[in-house]
Amino acid sequence: MTRAFNRRLLIAGAIFVLVATVLPLWLSAYVLGVLTTAYYFGVFSMSWDLLFGFAGEVNFGPTFLIGLGAYTAALLDNAYHPPVVVCIAVGALAALVGGVLLALPALRLRGPYFGLVTLVAVLLLQNAIVIFARFTGGEIGMTVPDVMTIDPKLNYWYALAFFVVSAILLYGLSRSAVGLILQASGQDAVEAQALGFNVTKHKLAAFSVSALFSGVAGAMLVFYMGAASVGTIIDIGIGVQIIIGAVLGGRRTILGPAVGAIFLVVAAEVLRPLGQLNTFIVAGVALAVILFFPDGLLGHVLRPRENA
Amino acid sequence: MADSNDRVRAAHRILAGAAILALSLSIAGAAPAAEPIKIGVIGEESSVAGASITKAAQMAQDDINAHGGVLGRQIQVVIYDDHSSAADAVRAFQRAVSEDKVSAVVASYISEVALAIEPWAARLHTPWITPGAASTDISKAVHENYATNKYTFHGWLTSAFIAQSICDFEHDMLVTSSYKVKSTVVMSEDAAWTKPLDERFLECLPKAGVKVLDHIRFNPDTTDFTPIFNKIEGEHPDVITTGISHVGVQPTVQWHDQRVPVAMVGQSSQATTSTFWKDTNGAAEGVITASAAAPDVALTPTTIAFTNAYEKRFGSSPSYDGYTTYDEIHIIANAIKAAGGTDPDKMVDAMEKTHYTGTVGTIEFYGKDDLYTHAIKYGPGLVTGVVLQWQSGKQVTVWPRDKANGKIGFPATITSVK
Amino acid sequence: MTTLQILVDGFAISSLYALAAVGFTLIFGVSGVLNLAHGGIMLVAALVGWWVAGSTPLGTYGGTLVGILAGLLTAYLTYFLVVRPIQRSTAIAQEEKEIFVLTGTLLWGIMIQTGMAFVFSDNPVTMRPLIRGVVDVFGVRTPRNEVMIAVLCWVVIGLLWLLINRTRAGKQMLAASINPRGLTLLGFDLSQIYFRVWTIYGVLAGLAGVLLASFLGVGTANAGQLTASAFSIVVLGGLGSVSGSLIAAYVVGYLETITAYLIAPTLRPIPALILLVLVVYLRPQGLLGRR
Repeated sequence: MTRAFNRRLLIAGAIFVLVATVLPLWLSAYVLGVLTTAYYFGVFSMSWDLLFGFAGEVNFGPTFLIGLGAYTAALLDNAYHPPVVVCIAVGALAALVGGVLLALPALRLRGPYFGLVTLVAVLLLQNAIVIFARFTGGEIGMTVPDVMTIDPKLNYWYALAFFVVSAILLYGLSRSAVGLILQASGQDAVEAQALGFNVTKHKLAAFSVSALFSGVAGAMLVFYMGAASVGTIIDIGIGVQIIIGAVLGGRRTILGPAVGAIFLVVAAEVLRPLGQLNTFIVAGVALAVILFFPDGLLGHVLRPRENA
Repeated sequence: MADSNDRVRAAHRILAGAAILALSLSIAGAAPAAEPIKIGVIGEESSVAGASITKAAQMAQDDINAHGGVLGRQIQVVIYDDHSSAADAVRAFQRAVSEDKVSAVVASYISEVALAIEPWAARLHTPWITPGAASTDISKAVHENYATNKYTFHGWLTSAFIAQSICDFEHDMLVTSSYKVKSTVVMSEDAAWTKPLDERFLECLPKAGVKVLDHIRFNPDTTDFTPIFNKIEGEHPDVITTGISHVGVQPTVQWHDQRVPVAMVGQSSQATTSTFWKDTNGAAEGVITASAAAPDVALTPTTIAFTNAYEKRFGSSPSYDGYTTYDEIHIIANAIKAAGGTDPDKMVDAMEKTHYTGTVGTIEFYGKDDLYTHAIKYGPGLVTGVVLQWQSGKQVTVWPRDKANGKIGFPATITSVK
Repeated sequence: MTTLQILVDGFAISSLYALAAVGFTLIFGVSGVLNLAHGGIMLVAALVGWWVAGSTPLGTYGGTLVGILAGLLTAYLTYFLVVRPIQRSTAIAQEEKEIFVLTGTLLWGIMIQTGMAFVFSDNPVTMRPLIRGVVDVFGVRTPRNEVMIAVLCWVVIGLLWLLINRTRAGKQMLAASINPRGLTLLGFDLSQIYFRVWTIYGVLAGLAGVLLASFLGVGTANAGQLTASAFSIVVLGGLGSVSGSLIAAYVVGYLETITAYLIAPTLRPIPALILLVLVVYLRPQGLLGRR
């Protein structure tokens, strides 16, 4: 990676943070709300990319980890009313534990089977929540008594701060020695192993990091919306949105998926006046991007050159 | 060399794009308020019932404007599709209030959606009404926290009253008549609106003279009803009392194809639409359901005219929530007139004093001290809904007696009632 | 009595599951594609069939045929618009093609679902049964249509077996599923084989969609569920194994029916899901999987 590129990236990043921070001064609560949700989805997609782009493992159920974090935090809050920060921390822990429990046996599987396990995990979580509706509110969902804040500006800044910190951490991780090893394991596990790296251990680490960030983001999303439901947190459709955002933005770049996810959320809202067909159009555009620009919006810009 | 220039150019392009996005968002946010009075309408365009809401709203808008509008201003209905999702509906509501500056909202027939909107109406101080949801929690929340939730109005019969109307029907027409119905199995989908519905069924059916043999709740995304019908048949009830809305076509068709010999009576929302006969290829024969209104029945002097005008314009008859939406846009317009403007608190006061004869009956709302504050009052002379039966492709009204235009008749395959 | 009911009901639904799953596994086995637009193809067949049967003079039989054709057409669109361009794309690395095809078919499936909801609304529709009336099967009152569907499924599956194992084209497909590169080396045109497989798949999925519509009814909201259930059955049976999918379809069908009858209708999908988890952990290649 050239130093000039890094510098330009830093400048672009700084400009973005600056602009984003002052936006609440003149944007309406509605628009801020859309952007707040978009930032959380940005974190979801970045975590996903760490796992896919770098560890090479397709996770079809990112909402399993997100859901674990979100619902654990919500259930805890309803039961014992600890401070919001504690709930989020516990939620993240639950997502981490769940992620590890899922990954340990799953990483032994090759090919599409890992993806299948993740998909089944989501279905199971979804069904479990519906069956134990007495505690979880089932399909209707549950509310949390405490929210982070009612002020849309504050919510926006919390989300933005979390997004920026996550981006820095995840991107940094991807550029570090660990990240390179992950990339190697993802692209050619046999060779990586031959070079002496414990592939499984590194993939497990990637899974854990992904789970942690997803869990925190999921819990924060719940305390932002004040409610959690299958349809807003766990549904396969949400997982699809995350994956599409990542592919759209440009996989294996961490920052690309962030942009892609934000773009998707904003585009869906902008197209709302179209009524019924806005999902159709967003899906169509995403499909077109996949077919004609498989590197995504930013893949070309941000992808490390193979022969660097 | 060329590579890094490419990348710089690309990076600049991205920055420009982001700036444009931010700019357009802020321009959208700064849109000036327009002259007409705006009413937001959130429906579900892919669902027959949800699409009726937006269509009826447009008719109401045109009718009101043809008569001079409100306070010298035109009414403008702003339409949103929530894709049957509570999260989408909340976003639409936020957009309606913050961006499009509506003065009131009419939203949805899905209880989960209505319950999600309720706290936002409180936060954004916007009066709104649901023309089709049924959950009792909607109005109970207003009663329990009036100061916060007073902006919410429940524009359809609560589940409790829907159940009551069905109990009254069964008592009047099935128990005390030659059918001598004595027993039933309650079968309903597991959803927010059916919990209070079933509670009331279990309470009022025995009082009406019908013993409840069993109570079955199933997943709203069930597709195979064979085990359920077989179980019910094995218990030998005289009728099945239904509470279904999310499903309708599938259980009805399977009930017909399997020749289940037990009559189906109760609330089946999909069966209230005129396309139900075609959707089920006639399997609906003999199905009885409660509804807001039915063809050719003059609940009020304006019911039939509205139905005909709607059919002429849109090609099918209105769903139950089309009637209520039409009435409620008028109620909102009248409230704005009485309040002298669009101040939310004054509008709420005016709406509470509503005494409006629309297409479904005479609408009044329960008050602060009633359990179901801001829900539609149930009773003769007010709103009772009707009970209709599908016979040979037509919806025949069979209850209340003074509105009935036909007699109950069951196909030969039904042997549970004679 | 309940046992007989379970046996008869389970048989019909399992046969339909089998028909839907067999097509799905065939496509994966021969061309390596996990088609997540599977439910969408069935949906199109069902909706078009219903519309033609009800709104044109072609009637139920005509509607069924047109529905199957519509399913076939949608399958072709899926292959030529989405799958083939990705498979042939030079911009995507070989190892990544699978996930791109998956994401692409997923998006295409969403487009089909929302597009159909726009045209037809999300109300479920049913096709008029091809044969009316009920018949007594071992003392269980069963709609004749249900019996016919089970018979039809088996006839079609039988024909498929004959096709794969007894005809030249079938054997080529079998070979392509084991070693596509070897086949190319021998001079066979893979694209022609793929075209044939997608044709067969389109007919199977279309037929399954139309039959499902007449048995249980289909709505746009079901599309995802249909894909998911075909997916789970195929994984249980072994990706790429037709006989595996057949067996797995019956296992899942009966598990669900037994649960619905003896435990509770609300818990219907659970045992199959648990079985799926166990299989993926303990024997990921499924019952009879090859790949």
